[in-house]
Amino acid sequence: MIETGLIAALTAFLSATLRMAMPLTLAGLGETFSEKSGILNIGLEAIMLSGAFFSFIIAFLTQSVLLGVCAGIAGGIAVSSIHAYLSIYCKVNQTIAGLALNFLIIGLTSFLFLIVFGKSTTLPECPVTPKIPIPILSRIPVVGTVLFNQDLFVYFTFIAIFLAWFFIHRTEWGVSLHAVGENPKAADSAGLNVFRIRYFSTIANGFFGGLAGSYLTLGLLGFFMENITSGKGYIALVVVILGRRNPPGILLAALVVGAAEALQFRMQTAGIPVPSQLFTMFPYVITVLVLFLAMGKSREPSALGIPYIRSKR
Amino acid sequence: MERLKTALSYILIVVIILSLAVVLILSVGSDVPKSFMSFFRGIFGSLYGFSEVLVRATPLILAGLGVSIGFRTGFINIGAEGQIYWGAIAVTTTAYLFPGLPALIAIPLGIVAGFVAGGIWALIPGYLKARFGISEVINTIMFNYIAINILGILVRTVLKDPEYPLPMSSKLPNGFIFPLLMYPTRLHLGFLIALIAMVLVYVLMWKSSPGYKLRVVGLNQRASLCSGIPVKKYIVFSSLLSGGFAGIAGVGEIAGIHYKLLEGFSPGFGYVAIIVALLGKNNPFGVAAAGLGIAALQVGSLSMQRQAGVPASISWIIMGSIVLLILARSTLLTFFAEKEKEKKV
Amino acid sequence: MSTNSILLMKDIDKYFFGKAANDKVSLEVKPGEIHALLGENGAGKTTLMNILYGIYQRDGGRITWKGEEIHFDSPREAIDNRIGMVHQHFMLVPTLTVSQNITLGLKSEGHPFPNRRSIDEKIRELLSAYDVHISPTDKVSSLSVGGEQWVEIIKLLYRNAELLILDEPTAVLTPQETKRLFKVLEKLRQEGHSVIIITHRIPEVLEITDRVTILRDGRNVATVHTSETGSVELSHYMIGRELKTISRTPNTVCPHEEGLGLDELAVEENGRNVLGPLSLSVRKGEMIGIAGVDGNGQKYLAEAVLGVRDCSAGKVRLLGGDASSASIQQRKDMGLGYIAEDRQNDALIMDMDMRENVLLRMYSKREYVKSGFIKYANVDETAKEMIDTYNIKTAGIGKPVRYLSGGNQQKLILARELAGSPPVIIAFHPTRGLDIGATEFVRQKLLERRASGSSILLISADLDEIFALSDRIAVLFHGKIMAVLENDGNVDVNYLGRLMAGEAAESGSDSRRVE
Repeated sequence: MIETGLIAALTAFLSATLRMAMPLTLAGLGETFSEKSGILNIGLEAIMLSGAFFSFIIAFLTQSVLLGVCAGIAGGIAVSSIHAYLSIYCKVNQTIAGLALNFLIIGLTSFLFLIVFGKSTTLPECPVTPKIPIPILSRIPVVGTVLFNQDLFVYFTFIAIFLAWFFIHRTEWGVSLHAVGENPKAADSAGLNVFRIRYFSTIANGFFGGLAGSYLTLGLLGFFMENITSGKGYIALVVVILGRRNPPGILLAALVVGAAEALQFRMQTAGIPVPSQLFTMFPYVITVLVLFLAMGKSREPSALGIPYIRSKR
Repeated sequence: MERLKTALSYILIVVIILSLAVVLILSVGSDVPKSFMSFFRGIFGSLYGFSEVLVRATPLILAGLGVSIGFRTGFINIGAEGQIYWGAIAVTTTAYLFPGLPALIAIPLGIVAGFVAGGIWALIPGYLKARFGISEVINTIMFNYIAINILGILVRTVLKDPEYPLPMSSKLPNGFIFPLLMYPTRLHLGFLIALIAMVLVYVLMWKSSPGYKLRVVGLNQRASLCSGIPVKKYIVFSSLLSGGFAGIAGVGEIAGIHYKLLEGFSPGFGYVAIIVALLGKNNPFGVAAAGLGIAALQVGSLSMQRQAGVPASISWIIMGSIVLLILARSTLLTFFAEKEKEKKV
Repeated sequence: MSTNSILLMKDIDKYFFGKAANDKVSLEVKPGEIHALLGENGAGKTTLMNILYGIYQRDGGRITWKGEEIHFDSPREAIDNRIGMVHQHFMLVPTLTVSQNITLGLKSEGHPFPNRRSIDEKIRELLSAYDVHISPTDKVSSLSVGGEQWVEIIKLLYRNAELLILDEPTAVLTPQETKRLFKVLEKLRQEGHSVIIITHRIPEVLEITDRVTILRDGRNVATVHTSETGSVELSHYMIGRELKTISRTPNTVCPHEEGLGLDELAVEENGRNVLGPLSLSVRKGEMIGIAGVDGNGQKYLAEAVLGVRDCSAGKVRLLGGDASSASIQQRKDMGLGYIAEDRQNDALIMDMDMRENVLLRMYSKREYVKSGFIKYANVDETAKEMIDTYNIKTAGIGKPVRYLSGGNQQKLILARELAGSPPVIIAFHPTRGLDIGATEFVRQKLLERRASGSSILLISADLDEIFALSDRIAVLFHGKIMAVLENDGNVDVNYLGRLMAGEAAESGSDSRRVE
């Protein structure tokens, strides 16, 4: 009997780990496209927050998860487009632009949230995506339940990981993306449109980041509150580094942090008599450790964070 | 011509910001003139209101100075918030350990403790950057979250006031409390300290040899190395200074305003300090001016929230937009230049 | 204009920040012609070609290509019109393979899922047709500089370029490699390609080209048939006078006193030996030239002597004392002057003004910094003296050095690094990218220092410079010194070239070795 209890607990833990890892994975995939092309977007937090907010609000108003997801993606792309415009066209410091966007979006989302819902004491809730067990496969103990009894977001993320990997490593587009991030001058001289490729990859960043945000509200929580991402965007940046900007690696890295988060929730509910803050800071500590351990393992694209100026002398 | 364009671009920014504010105010259904009136009345309408601007500006200037030193040296310190928390923890702990000290010793001791604690909290990511090349941007942000949780643990355990059920420390002993400068307003010694810090930072960065080296390292690490400056040491040094000033900001908030350690005493001062440093162009006097300006914006927004029902988070939107517009300012210029060119052709 | 030209550029204007880089420049190229674009650094040659190639947009003038007026907004359009360019700084992605670099930006068959194997096969054929021994699957980062240049050329041929533009193609080659390149150019001419070579080297113009267009200060000076001109005339066209021959006073060397000594010096990077072990002794009043193709350890050598890079074994001696464990600061205080290879990144703080750049070498001296505070008045005075002595043209001592011209930036570095008469000097590519006036000035200053007893290590890719200035020539290949030759006027360039290519010194020529 203890054994079945253990298995159930393990299954629940792994399942939670996977779900916690999903937003990080999605956001990490987006940022990978962006960084591979040379655009470092610290504003990933803002992209996710915008995605979370707009998907929530639309899902709340229309009661449609699908429309919510679309709105989240649009919200993410809107933010990443501003960052793209500033870093590609205005050629500003990408880190500062990203930070400023984070401030702006924190303010904007809480402002809009207040407009729509006013100061109510109860959190408004929105529909969440249902779990869709895949027949037969989901019956396999532990592994099957963890992998195949999830919502559509999870399934989509796995497909996205494969597609992103294929795009980056198996197509000529991936080579172009790589070239633009390594040596934009050479790419330009070879006839590639550096600016267009960078805009494309930042839009991909907005797409995945927005999706990651909508997973927070529509997949995990079912509600929205101020600064709901609470640093997940930054953690996703670490996941990108640890995952070496390679989609499968990003999933693995996200699982590490996801496990820390799942553990945090389990400990909090376990009733150990210590302040819950001890567990709340767990994922952040893990992130710092992970960043330390990932040190030197990942080579940055040479032109990361450097604006491309064509007729520079 | 060039000057005119610069002036034009700034005017354009003001216009955009004002229209943004109008749109936001209208969107909550508030009255625009009334909102603006309440905004300015909040700042200039009373001595108390104006003193509140200075009170708010105090941590912003101190932390902003810290952030600006980091930025000058290429240490992108996003962790001022956490360093402020450590300054607060340090002054409370010091007071807890030496409750009987007279003010003349207690206040400087508290400030030094805050400087050291904030400095060390920044020094860790600084060392990790200098020694291992690990991104300080991410580490300092993570350290913010960690510091906030550590404070949460402390006010529930060792530093908790046993008399009260709420998670906060007991009141600081009188010796540690900053004197008020202008009773009955809340303006306290911290503001003077901020002004002294401003001058100190100026002298350090522009008149002294270590400051010169910090700036050189920030502009060109490779050339610094070739000229014999130990770059890594200076990055660590800059992180220490950077966090130290933010730590003093935390001391001021506890010893000057709250008189006890509690959660959420900083409504994001450390993050706003980044904006203050950016707008002040990392120049100490600019930082002070920007600190006052942003404080006024926040005080005015709060007044607008009270009197006209516009959510105070409008100030974050305005701050973020100002930074973005200033970043894009030079392209606003080229926009004009191109128009002009088209006319010529 | 003749009707049979393939390319006609007429009255091209280009301004940078209000300054004319090209002022009504014209150029005509015929089919099957090798055409030189001759001029010194800053004459506007590369700008003109970048306009043709679509990197810069012209501010005036017309371009006719194969009878049609054209305007390229990007290199893409130039490539589509079968014009290709090899830039001076190669445009390759080191982390990609040779074949990926060659097809970069092309829509190969099956795009975006091209058949790499068949592409590789095609490239392999092309490589062997031009006798280039590189595999398409090699990473570009594993190639030598010469190899990279071949990849660039093959890249153009793969794209069926009819007109090839080569910007200073011989700058990175050994004399032998240059010969091979010229053979390939001959072959291309026979196949009907047109070639434009951008160069400032007159002998090359005379050796390989059919016609030559000379630019000076962004303007046309002349276009002549190579067969009808000579080096004196070309040099007059190029700089308005004859090239000064630098006279090196012999016998300044003190035979027994050493300034800089390297003793079995070795450097490792990522656990791999990249320099040495090598030994060298530069005596007082002596200049030793380090000859070698770029990327053969020159950087490690300079950095190890300066102290920026730790050596894994061996010793650096300064004025007879062991400096191996001394910090950079200590080495500079002992009297080491360092003229860095990369002015803008290694030597100057571009956003600081002149005096703060001068201070960069003075901050440890009591005269300028007292108990932590900078005495700006003294720094100003020194900076002003330097401006006068070195004739630096500046808009003001308080203006960022970014606004100085390359020549004046180099003069500032020279003034700073030679201040206080350092007994040991490393001059790393001291004249790279400078116009002839500034080049002569720099060389003159170095010779003056040598005459007054400094030991100078001159690292240069310019063989002419090495020959003109050095007392002895050390050849560096793959981080090792192949030979040290007495520069007595009898050094055979071909022999030197073989050494630079790593072909070991023959035993018969041991007499040339001096140790």
